[in-house]
Amino acid sequence: MKETYRRTIRFKLNGRPAIAEIATHETLVEVLQRDFSLFGARESCGQGLCGCCTALVNGIAVSGCLYLAAFVDGAEVMTVEGLASGNELHPIQQSFVANCAFQCGFCTPGFILMTKELLDRHPHPTTDEIRHYLSGNLCRCAAYPDIVHAVEAVSGARKV
Amino acid sequence: MKSFDLVEPATLDEAIALLDSQDRSVRAIAGGTALMLMMKTRLFQPTRLVSLRQLDGDLRGIRVNEGGGLRIGAMTSLAELEYSPLLAGTYPVMSQALRTLSNIRIRNVATLGGHLAHGDPHMDLPPILLTLGGRISAVSRRGRRWIPISDFFVGYYQTSLAKDELITAVDVPGQSPGVYCWYEKFTARSADDWPTVGVAVWYSVDSNVITEARIAVSAATERPMRIAVAEALLINAPATRQVFSKAADAAADEVQPIADLHGSASYKREMVRVHVRRALEHALNSRSNGAG
Repeated sequence: MKETYRRTIRFKLNGRPAIAEIATHETLVEVLQRDFSLFGARESCGQGLCGCCTALVNGIAVSGCLYLAAFVDGAEVMTVEGLASGNELHPIQQSFVANCAFQCGFCTPGFILMTKELLDRHPHPTTDEIRHYLSGNLCRCAAYPDIVHAVEAVSGARKV
Repeated sequence: MKSFDLVEPATLDEAIALLDSQDRSVRAIAGGTALMLMMKTRLFQPTRLVSLRQLDGDLRGIRVNEGGGLRIGAMTSLAELEYSPLLAGTYPVMSQALRTLSNIRIRNVATLGGHLAHGDPHMDLPPILLTLGGRISAVSRRGRRWIPISDFFVGYYQTSLAKDELITAVDVPGQSPGVYCWYEKFTARSADDWPTVGVAVWYSVDSNVITEARIAVSAATERPMRIAVAEALLINAPATRQVFSKAADAAADEVQPIADLHGSASYKREMVRVHVRRALEHALNSRSNGAG
């Protein structure tokens, strides 16, 4: 049993082994930015409401601003930076580009990762299911119709 | 946030031993979604958090218990509950409520035990559980006790759980036939907001006469609570709109609403009136006969 204010965590980050020295109170989004220079997950509301800090932990979407970094010890973490293979964007990313599903792009990584979790659970969601699933992500540019179109497009002809 | 000791015991006994009956700055943490908000705003500054993450194997899952009801492990996430066919088959009123409880990321991480232990009057499942009945298993160095759900919520963010007790499971009794249930959630600002008023109802009807009735109000009040005077008006009365309106008026007269950023006290009183009536009507219209 560990009992310190600081600790070393070992986990898988976007498919590669990762180690970080953290303080117990630090959140996942803080550690991703500071120790790994990954800025796709970004803190916006700080309350788990907006979805900008979304990361997948063992395939499950979490709010990185409310998730203790210590809790990813031994887990697999995926951020938006881990989706593309080399220079080829993931089909969800391609669909967001093709459907102009963003304006400023600040919320986009969160929407893309929520879409990934949605399609992993329900490969062919209805429009209502898409709207329900993404209802916890906020887009202040209000690109919502295009985001829903992008998800509809990719779920229709998705590479598995 | 300030740093704190974060301990991750591997067994329930170890976890219990690490809690402290006197020290308010020592607490258990499961998903942590609610606790993190309090820590970030410095409402709560722990010296030690006892993580239950390593224990979840034993405390997770939903199964049918001896009486035909459900036993739900405290570390079961709200998303697992939401997706459980067992829960949907027994208490769709809970499955439905979970769909609009915060958002998917929070439900992925938050646990049933934390949802109850936090004692926040705005939570969605407590009023429903108050109408379904049931009990909470609390374990400490002194052993295990079962707390009836009706004795659990005692005040604003206060429960009858001792500081060194952990919730391990929740028992919900089996559903009886001929029962109508509903949960009405009213959010005044955005759809995904915390409720201004939550109303859960449960009643049984025999030959169009109400034989048993339970009404619980949350969010408007300092704690989720049953409204006995409104329940009494329903019993032996026909299940009609007029009767529902009378009960709703009685509930509005009875509650002592707390003003907060979700609404003033007088506004909440009127919303209790509207939503108790709607909950009673929607339960009947759902025609699900025990299915919520």
